Amino acid sequence: MSTRLVYVCEGGDCTEKGSVELFERLRNMLHEWDPEERRIRVRKYPCFGGCEFGINITIWPDRIFYSKVGVEDLPDIVAHIRGGEPVKRLTGAVRPDVEDIIWQMLDSPW
Amino acid sequence: MSEVDLEARIPNNVGLRDNKRLMRALETWQPAFLDWWRGLGPSDFNEDLIYLRTAVGVGKGGWAHYDYVKMPDYRWGIFLAEPSGDQKIHFGDHLGEPVWTEVPGEFRNRLRRLIVTQGDTEPASVEQQRLLGKTAPSLYDLRSLFQVNVEEGRHLWAMVYLLHTYFGKDGREEAEAMLHRHSGDPDNPRILEAFNKPIETWVDFFCFTTFTDRDGKYQLAALAESGFDPLARTTQFMLTEEAYHMQTGENGVGRILHRSAELMREGIDPKSRGAIPLDLMQRYINFWASASMDLFGGEDSTNAAESFAMGLKGRYREGDGIYKDPKALGAEYPLEVPAEDGTMTKKSIPLRRAMNALLLDAYVQDCTRIVSRWNRDLDRLGVDFRIRLPSKRFNRNQGVYAGRPFSPDGDLLTREEWEARKDEWLPSEKDRDYVKSCMKAVYEPGKIANWIAPPHQGVDGKPFEFEYVKFH
Repeated sequence: MSTRLVYVCEGGDCTEKGSVELFERLRNMLHEWDPEERRIRVRKYPCFGGCEFGINITIWPDRIFYSKVGVEDLPDIVAHIRGGEPVKRLTGAVRPDVEDIIWQMLDSPW
Repeated sequence: MSEVDLEARIPNNVGLRDNKRLMRALETWQPAFLDWWRGLGPSDFNEDLIYLRTAVGVGKGGWAHYDYVKMPDYRWGIFLAEPSGDQKIHFGDHLGEPVWTEVPGEFRNRLRRLIVTQGDTEPASVEQQRLLGKTAPSLYDLRSLFQVNVEEGRHLWAMVYLLHTYFGKDGREEAEAMLHRHSGDPDNPRILEAFNKPIETWVDFFCFTTFTDRDGKYQLAALAESGFDPLARTTQFMLTEEAYHMQTGENGVGRILHRSAELMREGIDPKSRGAIPLDLMQRYINFWASASMDLFGGEDSTNAAESFAMGLKGRYREGDGIYKDPKALGAEYPLEVPAEDGTMTKKSIPLRRAMNALLLDAYVQDCTRIVSRWNRDLDRLGVDFRIRLPSKRFNRNQGVYAGRPFSPDGDLLTREEWEARKDEWLPSEKDRDYVKSCMKAVYEPGKIANWIAPPHQGVDGKPFEFEYVKFH
């Protein structure tokens, strides 16, 4: 599947920190670039388990796990999605085993 | 899609006002539902004011509001999620065809069975939990219980709407039957066995909402992929509410563990203060996790294969495009099963027959995340004990491991070994009696029972000390 996938956490802690609004903004920004979702899909995800470091966002198949994301970070994230470099200041907050749980699901062999 | 009609006797966004026949049918069902609620819903609290969230729509501008309400006056509404995507079936043999807005005749019986089985669990859990309010550890928790209860009631409404709208006389009879079956009734029990056991303590309640409601999430998520569009959109909105139920459980168990760990850090035996020892919590987790895994059904299932092939029930997050083959053909799923000689043997089954197993795998990953979160808190508190999720093989009554003696680590045992050690792994009568002895109601705002820590935050921006329930 060539379409990339962005998940924005909508777990309890991330929602308290504003993930619903952040999701809407990110989706609108990406739809301006890719209105038919041919290159990237933006979806909500129930919870990644990195609640202390929310708002969390993942990008797959890049295997990028962004944490402590605020609205002010969205232009840099969009730039990454559009071909730029990953935003290093937002990576590495959650433990690798927490990251692995979502990659295990997304890297389904089926 | 129709506008949200909040003024109607039954709030809805399905255009009931323009469908008089359906409206009359549902308004006829409504008194029976209220009778059921008063008779088998939460006991003793129907005249009290509860600070509840009520669904009022499905749009971006917020989908719920909070206010004090008496539970029988709760506005149980019918809401479908907004249509999304390209409205094409995205898996199975009908891949790429337009979604169905009416029930395809050849799939009618199977769809009805899927909806009835799901719908039956909703009132069942309310019945199971009906006495819990009498031992609530705080007003915050009492409110959480009732929030879960009224929303399970709304989920019943959602399924009844589908039955009335799309299944004619059969559907109406099924809707009636869902009020006549009762949890634990020897003559007319609920369909799934896990929903016939009373939930007698709050430890059971928090484990149930963590593990059993989470099975519900995965079943709903699989139905939310359905090619039958009304079912997909109904279950999508149910998932919005279900998230709170699972959070209630996850946080509830976490708060029990936290309280016990706080005491242990100070060198105090939790039992000496009426709190719950961590090894006892592990046994409850073993019990509820394994009972909930049974709800996924057999790992090797032709029924599941057919539902997938027909486009009625997909894989978890199928629509996100994360699977390589949306038809699930030509691949095999590896299973390790016990052989007659007491060893484990490997076999492969066609992927379509492994749909229950795949859904269970996604569930186990989710549960692993939760256990990891609980353990991070224990680590922070300086306690060595770690909670473990039992193996998929442990204590199973459904599927390829049913009835075989496996340890929580998944090792195949002899019957003698199982009998000798089962009380290490599952709650004994003594455990249950102890937990029951800890359950005493605390109804004063801002106060909480000694066996559980307060939550980090209240509801709707309110503090924990808020008067979430006003007694009449």
